[in-house]
Amino acid sequence: MSGNIRFHRVTKRFHRPGESAPRPVLENFSLDVAPGELVALVGASGIGKTTLLHLAAGLEHADGGRVELGPKTPRIGMLFQQPRLFDWLTAARNIEIASEAAGVDARIGRQLLAEVGLDDYASAYPASLSGGQRQRVALARAFGVEPNVVLLDEPFSALDELTARKLRILLLRLWQQHKPSGLLVTHNTLEAALLADRIVVLAGTPARIEATIEVDRARQRDAEDPLVFQRHRSIVETLERAAA
Amino acid sequence: MARLQQSPLIPDLADIWVELRSIVVSGEALKDIGTTLGRIVLGFTLAFAIALVVGLASARNRFARFFFEPALLLGLTVPGLVWALLCVIWFGLGIKTSVVAIALGIAPALAVSIAHGVGAVDPQLIETAHVYRLPLWTRLRYLWLPAILPFLTSGARLAFSLAWKVVVLVEVFGLSTGVGYRLNSAFISQNVAAVLAWTVAFAVVVAVIEFGLFQVIETRLRRWKREAQV
Repeated sequence: MSGNIRFHRVTKRFHRPGESAPRPVLENFSLDVAPGELVALVGASGIGKTTLLHLAAGLEHADGGRVELGPKTPRIGMLFQQPRLFDWLTAARNIEIASEAAGVDARIGRQLLAEVGLDDYASAYPASLSGGQRQRVALARAFGVEPNVVLLDEPFSALDELTARKLRILLLRLWQQHKPSGLLVTHNTLEAALLADRIVVLAGTPARIEATIEVDRARQRDAEDPLVFQRHRSIVETLERAAA
Repeated sequence: MARLQQSPLIPDLADIWVELRSIVVSGEALKDIGTTLGRIVLGFTLAFAIALVVGLASARNRFARFFFEPALLLGLTVPGLVWALLCVIWFGLGIKTSVVAIALGIAPALAVSIAHGVGAVDPQLIETAHVYRLPLWTRLRYLWLPAILPFLTSGARLAFSLAWKVVVLVEVFGLSTGVGYRLNSAFISQNVAAVLAWTVAFAVVVAVIEFGLFQVIETRLRRWKREAQV
């Protein structure tokens, strides 16, 4: 079942070194992610994209406003820049413990390992896998909880472009099958145009929504699709405008 | 050299061997080493329970760290002899004396090991466990325990060697069983060969514990590292 994400007039402040008063990164920030929708957040470094993701994941708490995820107790899958696997557990066990905690049949972990092309690596430990393989395991774990919400924090930025391409296609396929709602934080504007339904360009301090770009194209998408490329150009132009 | 000296203060290997065989054949070695080990196990268990609470609290809570830090520093610097003397005075002759003395002697070292282990857990994995809402038991078993076990095994080794020193002192001062008591008896009768025989017997037991317990546990725990390298 698809979930939804709602930031309602959210404020978040951080103490920075050398400053006495906390500085707001977000102030009265609102954003809605509809069921089944993937929204990409793009913008300069330190603008508050990851803060939004952490607020949605419950890793940070808002100083004001509300962050609501639906349904009432949503199952969250999260993919970080690094795979963040438990090194002392096999690939299969890494997925199973998340599935079990979510109350999902742990057998789904094996199925997902097969779907991400690692059927033969179920009993392998993360240290014996390549970076791309580890991120595939992390992807299988994120979808192994049958998520209502998936949060993606620059998930492919640490991989070489060829591996990242394969994983983007894999992510699109899994998204089509499971249809969660999600947020994607990325600096790769082409990736944002390829994966997301809507791209939110953030600018300023505290962060405001500079522009919203819709990608009205059904998945599966192709990086060579002229519309995807056109949206990618729009994001870049908006970012350049915001920076100027 | 001992043979040349012909002095009872420097016994030769044959004398030590005779003493060693005598205490093994008579069953004294088994009985007294067993008694000493039993006291160490009880003291270690009590120390571990205390150290787990103090170590976890110190690592996870700033106020707990400030609260326990002076006590831990003091505990680490107080010689085992002091705990042995104090416990004999406080508790008299009995099992409680040795168990409490061992616990007081080794709990600080164990607590520091546990606190270091907890502090070394990757915060990114803690975040991951939070996002996936892993239950407490799963976190303990699959996150905290594997991360702190290397620190715990090295801490346990250190604690075991400290415990042995403390318990021997308690047995020397206030008990009528155990290796310490036997060493004291040998000392009173100026039987150097017996002192060395008891020391050798206990050293053998310590070696068996090191290779048969600590190293086996460590090998099992590090299995994933070995298999990952294949």
